Amino acid sequence: MKPDIASDTPVAGPFGSRLRSRMLHKLVDLGPALLLFVAVGVIWEWSVRFFSVPQFLLPAPSVIVERMIRMQDMLLQNLQSTMTAAILGYLLGTGVAISLAILFLYSRTAERALFPWAITIKTIPILAIAPLLTIWLGFGMAPKIAIAALICFFPTLVNTVRGLRSVDRQSMEFLQVVGASPAQTFLHARLFAALPYTFAAAKISASAAVIGAIVAEFTGANVGIGTLIVSAGYQMDATMLFAAIITSSLATIALFYSIVLLERLCLFWPEARMDI
Amino acid sequence: MNASIASATKTGTQAGNLSDAQTGAAAIRIRDVSMNFGTGAARVQALQNIGLDVGRNEFVSIVGRSGCGKSTLLRIISGLIPNESGEIRVMGHEIDAYQRHRRFGFVFQDASLFPWKTAAQNIALPLAILGQGNRAARAARVEALLRLVQLDGFGNHYPAQLSGGMRQRVSIARALAYEPEILLMDEPFGALDEFTRREMHDQLIGIWRNKPMTVVFVTHSLSEALYLSDRIVVMAPRPGRVRAVVDVVHPRASDRAVRQSPEYLAQLNELEALLDEA
Repeated sequence: MKPDIASDTPVAGPFGSRLRSRMLHKLVDLGPALLLFVAVGVIWEWSVRFFSVPQFLLPAPSVIVERMIRMQDMLLQNLQSTMTAAILGYLLGTGVAISLAILFLYSRTAERALFPWAITIKTIPILAIAPLLTIWLGFGMAPKIAIAALICFFPTLVNTVRGLRSVDRQSMEFLQVVGASPAQTFLHARLFAALPYTFAAAKISASAAVIGAIVAEFTGANVGIGTLIVSAGYQMDATMLFAAIITSSLATIALFYSIVLLERLCLFWPEARMDI
Repeated sequence: MNASIASATKTGTQAGNLSDAQTGAAAIRIRDVSMNFGTGAARVQALQNIGLDVGRNEFVSIVGRSGCGKSTLLRIISGLIPNESGEIRVMGHEIDAYQRHRRFGFVFQDASLFPWKTAAQNIALPLAILGQGNRAARAARVEALLRLVQLDGFGNHYPAQLSGGMRQRVSIARALAYEPEILLMDEPFGALDEFTRREMHDQLIGIWRNKPMTVVFVTHSLSEALYLSDRIVVMAPRPGRVRAVVDVVHPRASDRAVRQSPEYLAQLNELEALLDEA
């Protein structure tokens, strides 16, 4: 009475020839997007030249790329400042959010006391609080890190709280029947149950953190993509604006995909991988 | 922490002997157990004055339509829901005292395996939680259990990679891992298709014959109860109460001829009538 598994059981692991065919599929999936991207670039370049659009209004892609290459040292230096603040703020905001979520799990009192504050933080307009933080924390990294952290904090908190509580009732009953301690329940069940939820928020937060750092630089900073954007705006230097936007976007995409990679490493079981 | 499984079992047997001396043969003794949910106008009496004895190594099924409190009763026996009134003795002990030495085996309707653990890791989990055996002893035990539920070679599969029937067999192996004296099963095959269900019945009988234990099996299927058990408890809803207790004429008769016999069919009819009245 050997069970027949041929029909309903996907057996092979994620490695080997399946990986290669998956990468090929990915490339095919990306094909239309890449084609459209190139097409837009070509049309943009051609239109700007054909209609003689002035450069302060809309620079051609070739002009932007040329400027980015010429000023790469300056761009990278500013980018480094922005991304350092964004990543530190991201780690801080996410770390505090996860710690609070775990605290809320074991103390309803803490949740009742602190959750209204979390909502208050969420409702504060970041653009309004940025100058205040500059006054308090100066023109350095601190206000940028703080804004990035504030922006990451709420979604990760809410999602992690929900994820930690998402273990189904019967699984919790099983743990109770075998007499699992709270620590064992956390390590064997809640932690893994929370991971998909936390990562869903952490992916959104990655780009939000960069935006937070840039916004903080608008109101007070000596260096960073945000300061570049502000000064280029005053000088009506559209080419520089585009160069700054593209530089920070590329860095944000890189950050986002680092989180996706980490997610793939952490969510190793098949059920979780289905929705990645 | 590293006490071997064998020694853990021995302690259990001693506890069993002790209770034997105290209370005779009943594995589970339920007297006047009542249970209410909610308060005020929303108060619902889930169980009313339940009385029931389950003998050592007896296979007892509880049948009844939904809302008759059969799952609630199972959860009270296992201590998942605290008992409000009446008395329950398990192997002669209060539930709390019993659970200090032994654990119930519990099989849920959804296999309720952890999707982030492989079949083998799921089966090993209660052993790890209870601190039974070292790593090697646990691995050997898991192998033996996988063979017992005929899943050898599937230890490294995640639940999502197994069929519904296979998942439920892993769940049974997990419940048997720590060698419980009492196995509580809450509609364990309710989510399976008819054919898988029948296979599972024969496997469960095989497991029980191989090593008899006390089983309380909740189901809403009369034929399932009749096929598996020594006795069937018919419960009636609103309020949940014991309607009748029926001794099965031919317990675990896997012989097809017996299943067509007049006594068997008469008993099926009798049970159906009891359920209709209820």
